[in-house]
Amino acid sequence: MAADLKFAKTHEWIRPEADGRATVGISAYAVEALTDLVFMQLPAVGKKVKAGESIGEIESVKAVSDMYAPVSGEIVEVNAALPNQLETLGKDPYGAGWIVRIKPDDPAELANLLDRPAYEALVKS
Amino acid sequence: MTAAVLPVWWDDAADGPTNMAADEVLADEAARHGGLVIRIYSWSMPSVSLGAFQPLAAARACVAVSGLPLVRRPSGGGAIVHGTDLTYAAAVPKAHPWGRTPQALYDALHTAMAAVLTDVGIAARLHEAVATDPPADAFLCFARRSVGDLVAPPTGQPAAAGDPKIMGSAQRRLGTTVLQHGSLLLSTNRDLGEAARLPGVAELAGRDDAWEPRQIAEPWLNAIARALGAVIDHQPAALCHGRDLAIEAHAQRFRDRHWTARR
Repeated sequence: MAADLKFAKTHEWIRPEADGRATVGISAYAVEALTDLVFMQLPAVGKKVKAGESIGEIESVKAVSDMYAPVSGEIVEVNAALPNQLETLGKDPYGAGWIVRIKPDDPAELANLLDRPAYEALVKS
Repeated sequence: MTAAVLPVWWDDAADGPTNMAADEVLADEAARHGGLVIRIYSWSMPSVSLGAFQPLAAARACVAVSGLPLVRRPSGGGAIVHGTDLTYAAAVPKAHPWGRTPQALYDALHTAMAAVLTDVGIAARLHEAVATDPPADAFLCFARRSVGDLVAPPTGQPAAAGDPKIMGSAQRRLGTTVLQHGSLLLSTNRDLGEAARLPGVAELAGRDDAWEPRQIAEPWLNAIARALGAVIDHQPAALCHGRDLAIEAHAQRFRDRHWTARR
């Protein structure tokens, strides 16, 4: 797991990119807890979201879960191939399993999120 | 030490959108209560509840459910034809030990039901995945199998890989709470086309008359309360009572054709 990731308590990760955008996905813990994934609905590019708002839904054989925006901003790109390759989320959740790219309204919001040790402590608690 | 409390609502029959709305209000109650809450309810007419992302076209193409009113659930899983089942909704905060993973609540409630059914002579057990399982995307919930579903052989017969599924559940994992819908098939549903009818608990037990939902629900709730170390607090009024505005606000979404046709 890369050290530059930040995490939401709702199990999304976010990685700031050099171009000012930020890549978002869901943690390996969340993928494993959901068990067998069967469907994913992504947001529309251009959608504006507030931190904590839904950016899509993911369904496993047992559950449907919302995925939440870790920061406020605009959805500028989605991983359109992912819904047809959901196994990628299990194989590479922090790389090829990315879900959306957001242009944050305020990069300082990242400071509200958990760093890796704090997130790992959360899922072990 | 004060024991934990398990609030339980026994609700009157209602239509699909009202039931789905009440279940979302139940999830709010779980957040307020800080623990497990359960609603037992029924349907004012035989109805189909569709999983959150099942294609509507699949429902339209299923002749066995033709003509029945349909509502789309917020939870996942396959379609259920309600009418001869025991329907419940349970909600719990994600921070609760039963709310942390989908399997935890699923197994807790199904294990409690297995014990109740065993007491009445049905050798129910939690399903373990086998290679011969039917496809995970079968349209009807009771035609699917996933780990933790409740299956049982006919009374007097040994357990077998293809034993019928008699209870299934599915969840909606919200921001801070988990809402779980579930159904125990008390008897074969004759509102379904004949080809799609599956045996319920009564048929497996060789009974002509099905158990009433309350006859099974009460010992089930007691088993859940024991597992939680909680005492049941039977609510004096239906969950919908006095919450008309909140229920109607939620119900409008479930009546909206855009919600029903979202996939």
